[in-house]
Amino acid sequence: MTATVSRPAVIQRTTAQNRVVQFKRRSAAADALAISAYTSAAIAVALFLAAHGPNQFGTLAASVTSIGILCGLVGADFVLIMLVLAARVPLIDRAVGHDRAMALHRTLGKPALYLLLGHGLLILTGYAMAAGVNPIAEIGALWALPDVPLAIIALGLFITVVVTSLVAVRRKFPYEFWHAIHLLSYLAVAFAIPHQFSEGGVLAAGFSRAYWVALYIVALGSILVFRFVLPVVRSIRHGIRVSAIEKVGPDVVNIYLSGRDLKALRPAGGQFFVWRFFTGSTWWHAHPISLSASPSNTEARITVRALGNGSARLAKLPIGTRVWFEGPYGIFTDAARTSPKLAIVAAGIGVTPVRALFEHSRLAPGEATVLLRATSEEQSYLWDELEALAKQRGANFYTMVGPRARGGDTWMSQLDLERHVSLRSAFPDLANSDLYVCGPQAWTDLVVEDARANGLPDHQIHTERFDW
Amino acid sequence: MKTRVVVGSAIASLAVLVTGWVVGTTSNIPVATSATKLADGKYTGDTEQTRYGAVQVEITVSGGAITDVAALQLTNADSRSQEISNTAAPILRDEVLKAQTASVATVSGATYTTEGYLTSLQSALDKAKA
Repeated sequence: MTATVSRPAVIQRTTAQNRVVQFKRRSAAADALAISAYTSAAIAVALFLAAHGPNQFGTLAASVTSIGILCGLVGADFVLIMLVLAARVPLIDRAVGHDRAMALHRTLGKPALYLLLGHGLLILTGYAMAAGVNPIAEIGALWALPDVPLAIIALGLFITVVVTSLVAVRRKFPYEFWHAIHLLSYLAVAFAIPHQFSEGGVLAAGFSRAYWVALYIVALGSILVFRFVLPVVRSIRHGIRVSAIEKVGPDVVNIYLSGRDLKALRPAGGQFFVWRFFTGSTWWHAHPISLSASPSNTEARITVRALGNGSARLAKLPIGTRVWFEGPYGIFTDAARTSPKLAIVAAGIGVTPVRALFEHSRLAPGEATVLLRATSEEQSYLWDELEALAKQRGANFYTMVGPRARGGDTWMSQLDLERHVSLRSAFPDLANSDLYVCGPQAWTDLVVEDARANGLPDHQIHTERFDW
Repeated sequence: MKTRVVVGSAIASLAVLVTGWVVGTTSNIPVATSATKLADGKYTGDTEQTRYGAVQVEITVSGGAITDVAALQLTNADSRSQEISNTAAPILRDEVLKAQTASVATVSGATYTTEGYLTSLQSALDKAKA
């Protein structure tokens, strides 16, 4: 009898060990990516130093020009890193997740622009000093150089792209307008290339040239392959169409999709796809939406809430509408777990990835605890399904309904706050749990804050954004 | 950001920068000796075509040493190139007279002019050695 008792314990230990090994591998890969990104800036500087040596800093004018060149090199390096981060490369997505890659992409935007502006101004000043004229008078001479006018246009495009992406400015425009402007960055990169290889002495010859050409091929190649070729090939191969639409609440619908060989996509529960529905009024609008159930080989399901104009139209999609997609993306999945227990908190439509994640996970009785949150009963989308799953797997299932407590700094309802419910009381074994949080951004931030205050380390907290 | 990333990036970047600096310093040191004796006279170097125009120099050798370098043609494709030429030529002339060889440091911001100038100069030196 001892053998039968100890067997589950052995399995559990190996799962736990596997999780630790997986986590260490992932964070090593993430760190290696980050280190190579930062070091690539140093390589850009080092190649310049190697090609020209200290005599590039012989006079003040030469120093100003050289620093200007270095700004341009590091700026170009940043732009290429940003391209790679936005390319949704599977390796990067698996290591850090798409949302963290995009957070770094956003962080690099302003420094890259400042470096490129500095590049233009410093070189203008350096040339003017060498020629003994004022910088304004030098503009004409600079403009007359081959490929420089194109580069100046590229700089103008970069300014436009970064300014429209500033949070305050971006809010004023619809997503599609912002996205269209953002696509100009490809044009900006293309316009900036000629002057780097003709005018730029560093990129003009030898090893340095080969290195930069390789960087450009990697950056533009990953965009081309992972943003264009792969989605098109997959969309054609799997031939997904809308097969049924079902209302599950006010503004919320289940969209059933049918296609071929869906298992080959290996979608993990909790991952999302970027969908494009091919009707006249919706094809230009890309929707990042999670699967809300584990797919079969021919059927998948997403659950959509009308958050914007585009999503509202989805409720009226004709049956048979052709669907193009990119994905699956994200690490809001079982693969990201590091701890023996599973704690899930979801609010509103945030229940969708959580529902798929739960269904996809292999869970021992008592391993998981689910807490679902809604402002009113109307918003309890898919709760019945998740409750049934929880019962079947022996998971604890709680719900919390009611408006958020006044004061605004809590993720809980007024009623439960008064009853002294807390993250700890809902999840007594929180310290040994992976906490998965999905809901509106502000609410999610409050849950994460609460979890951190309870001493939960960052690698045990997993979130998915739902407002983009 | 994690400590491992900061330390790793710092070490890797430092190594790369030092390597770049060392390579740059050692490969750009002027060689100050001229191997064979030069015959006295005036020698015109070959015309070197660069993307900013042709470059050609003439050297004067007296007492086995280079005593003057005159630029016959300099990069002049546009006003910016002329500026660069006018700045770079006197510097290159001084360097060459000091070093007595065509192996002198590149003038910053005048890579093409320097290359053309020194290649033409070397062909003139070759004639002087013959």
